[in-house]
Amino acid sequence: MAKATPDVALRAAPELQPPDVFRLLVDSVTDYAIFMLDPAGLICTWNSGAERMKGYPAKEIIGKHFSVFYTAPDLALDKPNYELKLAMQDGRFEDEGWRVRKDGSRFWANVVITRICDKQGRHLGFGKITRDLSERRQSELRYRLLIEGVIDYAIFSMDPTGRITSWNVGAERLKGYKAEEIIGKHFSNFYTPEDRASELPRRVLETAAANGHFEGEGWRVRKDGTRFWASVVVTALRDEAGNLYGFSKVTRDNTERKKLMDELQRHSEELELQVREREESNAELESFAYSVSHDLRAPLRAIAGFAQALQEDCAAGLDETGRDYLHEITSATARMNALVQDLLDYGRVSRINMPLESVKLADVVAEAIRQAQQGDDGMLQVDVPSDICIYAQSQVLTQVLLNLLSNAFKFQRKGVKPEVRISAEVKERRVRLSVSDNGIGIAPQHQERIWQVFERLHDRDAFPGTGIGLAIVRRAVTRMHGSCGVESQINKGSTFWIEFPVASEGSLEAKN
Amino acid sequence: MTDSPVLLVEDDPADVRLIQRAFKKLARELRVIRLSNGDEVVAYLSGEAPYENRVAHPLPCVVLLDIKLPRRSGFEVLEWIRRQRSGLNRLPIVMLTSSRHSADINRAFDLGANSYLSKPSIPGDLEKMLAQVESYWMRLNEPPDLQGGIAKAFRDRNV
Repeated sequence: MAKATPDVALRAAPELQPPDVFRLLVDSVTDYAIFMLDPAGLICTWNSGAERMKGYPAKEIIGKHFSVFYTAPDLALDKPNYELKLAMQDGRFEDEGWRVRKDGSRFWANVVITRICDKQGRHLGFGKITRDLSERRQSELRYRLLIEGVIDYAIFSMDPTGRITSWNVGAERLKGYKAEEIIGKHFSNFYTPEDRASELPRRVLETAAANGHFEGEGWRVRKDGTRFWASVVVTALRDEAGNLYGFSKVTRDNTERKKLMDELQRHSEELELQVREREESNAELESFAYSVSHDLRAPLRAIAGFAQALQEDCAAGLDETGRDYLHEITSATARMNALVQDLLDYGRVSRINMPLESVKLADVVAEAIRQAQQGDDGMLQVDVPSDICIYAQSQVLTQVLLNLLSNAFKFQRKGVKPEVRISAEVKERRVRLSVSDNGIGIAPQHQERIWQVFERLHDRDAFPGTGIGLAIVRRAVTRMHGSCGVESQINKGSTFWIEFPVASEGSLEAKN
Repeated sequence: MTDSPVLLVEDDPADVRLIQRAFKKLARELRVIRLSNGDEVVAYLSGEAPYENRVAHPLPCVVLLDIKLPRRSGFEVLEWIRRQRSGLNRLPIVMLTSSRHSADINRAFDLGANSYLSKPSIPGDLEKMLAQVESYWMRLNEPPDLQGGIAKAFRDRNV
């Protein structure tokens, strides 16, 4: 029965005996240098791979000591004999390092030396297999140079316990340690005493080992004791079998960013504080307004009420002067009431939450006219297209219009038939709503003052009022992202206008 | 039409006089009970001393309730009344106050007020308002049973 390939080979070439077959096999291998050493380290055999790799033909090298392949520094350390000693002792020795060719050039070699004994256990010598790893070595080297050259990041590796095994320029620059000072030391040296006390370094490695990596930020300590804000990524390094053989750690100095973030945080906290303070002062204002409307108006109501009761119940006991005084009391309370109400309105318009929505201008105008109870006597002309919308709060806008309308009808010239016109036009995506009258007009020097609270231009007898109406208009319009103004000529009339961005023009634009 | 009195809860004596005067000007004689703080209202409605005698101190058909009161605010009185389970919780309550704050208005209705009126600043308007209160709450409105109803209803539901 035929057994395996060697038998087949033997049948094909019956003149060959098994040792010859293996010799041919070894000889033909070109990618590995395979040769034998005697117990003293002298070369006994030589294959074509060895010739190719090291440059010596067999006749030149056989009988020489294998130390010819070693570099001068390795020879100084007596490395060849040391390797044989270890191979003798353990049966096998493996190493990677520089070796020298016949022409003096170097190559990066993986070397395996195996002790060879016969069946009786007598030591015959050593088998040596050498592989040229120069190419792999080159790419690793390039990679290492790349990492070593990175200066903005500290990149280093650690063994599984956290001892540093490599160190790049960036690490030196960032942490202040030179490679020779820090390699072999534990990476917890970079942590603050607090973090070391809480065993953060241990937890970092545990997390990286468990999850593959660890990412974090925190204060780290340089060699000189100064601190920097570090952004850290630790990655577990595992071989193909999954065994942890160390960690890589990439650290970036984010101190500047941290400072900016802290600054930002501080600013936002300050802002929050200010908002809170403002809310508190708003709440105080609110309660002030509340007591104004509730407590201060109560006595006013009593004065007015009893004045009326006096007039109705005791009229017989009052003469003309008494009734006249009573009339003064009543009108003064009415005025004060109006003042309080206007002040409250002004305060409310300044403070209330004012959600803006698309409002049809014509609807608001109609509502204001209805509330003003004007318009059916022919003095009021309205020219507002039905399809203009603006973003506003409709009650507040109604109040604004009401104030403008009331002014337009109030400040009339004696003996002139009042004419008031409300009109709207759209220009450059803005709506201007104008309320024009043919009244007394406002002198140019007064046209700014009229918007102030309690600002009045006329005697109370001629034109009653609190002097707050236009202040409310301005405040409300501003809060609704609009603007307002006046054009006026003495004894001709005034045009007050308010202006807002268009919400939707509908068919208005299509018509033109 | 009901003969039950109006309960006026008001601490401002000037307002009390003006309101009473306005009621007097109505076409018919009307009984107005006046209490000036929240604790008194609770004592009166629950028939505690010195209000044990229901003949001398009958339950009202409507309460005119101010918000700002000494000791127990109008809101607290309102909450207390609506918490009762004797039928008293059905008592019609009209807030009559000088506050026109939307927060107050909303809170009053949230707590179960039936109406919210703000005291008019023009004297004649107060008389008109109270005339309407009388006509609506004492003549148009069907008064609820204020005694014993809810407990029975609860029992029935929970059987």
